[in-house]
Amino acid sequence: MTTIADVQTSTPGRASGGSDRRDSWIPTMPMITTRFMELRKRRGVMSALIGVTIGIPTVFLLVRLLLHSIAPHTYGPAGGYDIFSHLVAGVLYVFGFIVAATLGCTAGAVDLNEGMFRHLVITGRSRLALYFARIPAGLAIVVPIVAIGYTIVCAICVFAAPTTLNYAGANVPAGLSRPALENWARANAHTVVCDFPTNGPIFVDTPCVTPPVGGPILSSPGGSNVKALPAPQRPASATPAQLKAEAVRIADQAYSDYARLFLRPSTSLMIKAGLWIELEAVIGFIVGLGLASLLGQRTIAVVMMIVLEIILTPIFARARIPHFANVQRAVVGLAMAHIEPGALPLALGGDRGVDLLHESTTVAIIVIVAWLLGWTILGAWRMATRDA
Amino acid sequence: MTASTLSDGNGDGPWAVETHGLMKRFGENVAVNDVELLVPRGCAFGYLGPNGAGKTTLIRVLLGLTRADGGSMALLGHQVPKDRAVALARVGAIVDEPRFHGHLTGRQNLQILAAAREPAARDRIDPALDRVGMSGRANDRVSKYSMGMRQRLGVAACLLGDPQLLILDEPMNGLDPAGMREMREMILTLVGEGRTVVLSSHLLDEVERTCDAVAIVDQGRIIRHGTISELLAGTSELLRVECSDPARAARLLAATALDVAVETDGHAIDVTLGAGTDRTLIAEVNRVLVEGGIAVYRLEPTQASLESWFLQVTSRLGETA
Repeated sequence: MTTIADVQTSTPGRASGGSDRRDSWIPTMPMITTRFMELRKRRGVMSALIGVTIGIPTVFLLVRLLLHSIAPHTYGPAGGYDIFSHLVAGVLYVFGFIVAATLGCTAGAVDLNEGMFRHLVITGRSRLALYFARIPAGLAIVVPIVAIGYTIVCAICVFAAPTTLNYAGANVPAGLSRPALENWARANAHTVVCDFPTNGPIFVDTPCVTPPVGGPILSSPGGSNVKALPAPQRPASATPAQLKAEAVRIADQAYSDYARLFLRPSTSLMIKAGLWIELEAVIGFIVGLGLASLLGQRTIAVVMMIVLEIILTPIFARARIPHFANVQRAVVGLAMAHIEPGALPLALGGDRGVDLLHESTTVAIIVIVAWLLGWTILGAWRMATRDA
Repeated sequence: MTASTLSDGNGDGPWAVETHGLMKRFGENVAVNDVELLVPRGCAFGYLGPNGAGKTTLIRVLLGLTRADGGSMALLGHQVPKDRAVALARVGAIVDEPRFHGHLTGRQNLQILAAAREPAARDRIDPALDRVGMSGRANDRVSKYSMGMRQRLGVAACLLGDPQLLILDEPMNGLDPAGMREMREMILTLVGEGRTVVLSSHLLDEVERTCDAVAIVDQGRIIRHGTISELLAGTSELLRVECSDPARAARLLAATALDVAVETDGHAIDVTLGAGTDRTLIAEVNRVLVEGGIAVYRLEPTQASLESWFLQVTSRLGETA
């Protein structure tokens, strides 16, 4: 027993730290705001986050705007549905995830790596509260930045959209109803018959400047191409009425394909796609946070997140591994692909109906929630039990 | 209160730090071995030991940075880990070298730490910076700080909680002589305010100047404890003698029946007198040398310092091991 009997025993104050509930797992607002400040001041990570989610799409669209304004016949409009869908599914989705994951890994490991974790634990504050403070702080950075980048993409794609729709090489007014398209086809019968794709037999014979899409090509006496029918059915020459009737029939047949094309993304699509890429960024941040907290360091966690997103997920989404399908379905990227707005191209590449491993929406949602909760629990557990 | 019973946990009681049978193992290695420690409130307490003795591990266990494998402990009368949040509310500590977020300023780092404490801690940032002399550099990034400045910032971080107990692990590291003096004065001031300071240091001279009491730890176990005056009371006294022929003087003294041990370095002889020796023995040494025809130029008796005592203790332990 070590007793120092003759040392002065003065009358110090008494501990009184219980009033601020510092053993609660709920973080206080000052903890969140200071954590936000700590992350926001990281120039490297913030530059990457802003550069990828705002800078790349903005520069790409501005260059297209510039080129289109200089040479509108050579360079198409900067915006439009196609540009929007490919920027969202090809850039914002993948790179948004990666930079959000990088920020999550940073938030999960830097206190430990930079020696602040020990100072924070000594305050007596609940370790769970220290962990949970990082989630709103990090999301307060990730979500707005992704939203800003996405808003810029939406704005340019809407306001710099083409004025006419290019369907099978023909300039067609956008957003027509089926009767309206038929009326338009009646008025542009020659274009429809020559340019629109059709699967069935063609009942007229009309000269086309470019090779027609559909039936076999024969040379007309005038030297131009004609959309030809099998010889027994082919009339000698089509009357205007016959041509219009055929154009209406082809337009009616093509309407379902035409209806999937837009000049600009619809409001509904923009909202859905925005929520979808925000969810992807949130997943990236939460999983990165949990993984880095679990591993105790950032670099390996970031590498693992990148490998997951750009290597493992496309493989698991498209490969058919015997007896492994349910494990493949548990990959969060596959689940995200299943809830991707249908009007966007598949972010993982390939054809949605053919290449993507089947998974129900319910299972996809369960997988996403499980990833969010699972990694949060793992990260918090490790933080609560780790030696500081 | 009995030796094996912790305080009742209401924050009262005379002890700032109290441990009973505290154990911490890392595999086969016992870093903290059945430590019984009572540190009174309001004193400066030194915790000494050679490298690897388990000093920092004990501090980490006390602060809840790592779990104990056995025993019980209390800080400021609150049991740990049961009432850890309340216990640590009025504890400030530096463990190992103080490290902070390098991309933030000193003030911003303190804001993060204050946010984890009670709301009043935010109001203590500026006074704490003033107190450690860091106000002028508070808005510089920590990555530009010297080791000594980070050490000061670490002390400022300790002060955010208005601590009644400060646990400082090697606080003099990286400080220049002036900084060490300022730190020493600051510790004494803090103790004068009624706070308790537990100081772990390998700078025994600093501990001797700063602390009221010490505990010596080796291989995870406390081997000596008490006030410094108590500990030094049982130490031997050293007599340094400068004379005309040190080698012959050493032989002469060794041949006598005097209770002394003699060593020479060629320029002088060091005569170790037994603990509690009568001062007449010094005159007797002088008489033997003079009668032996040796001219004595200087006789300098010195009380053993904490450092020499520490070396004696640890070397004895090494011999018995």
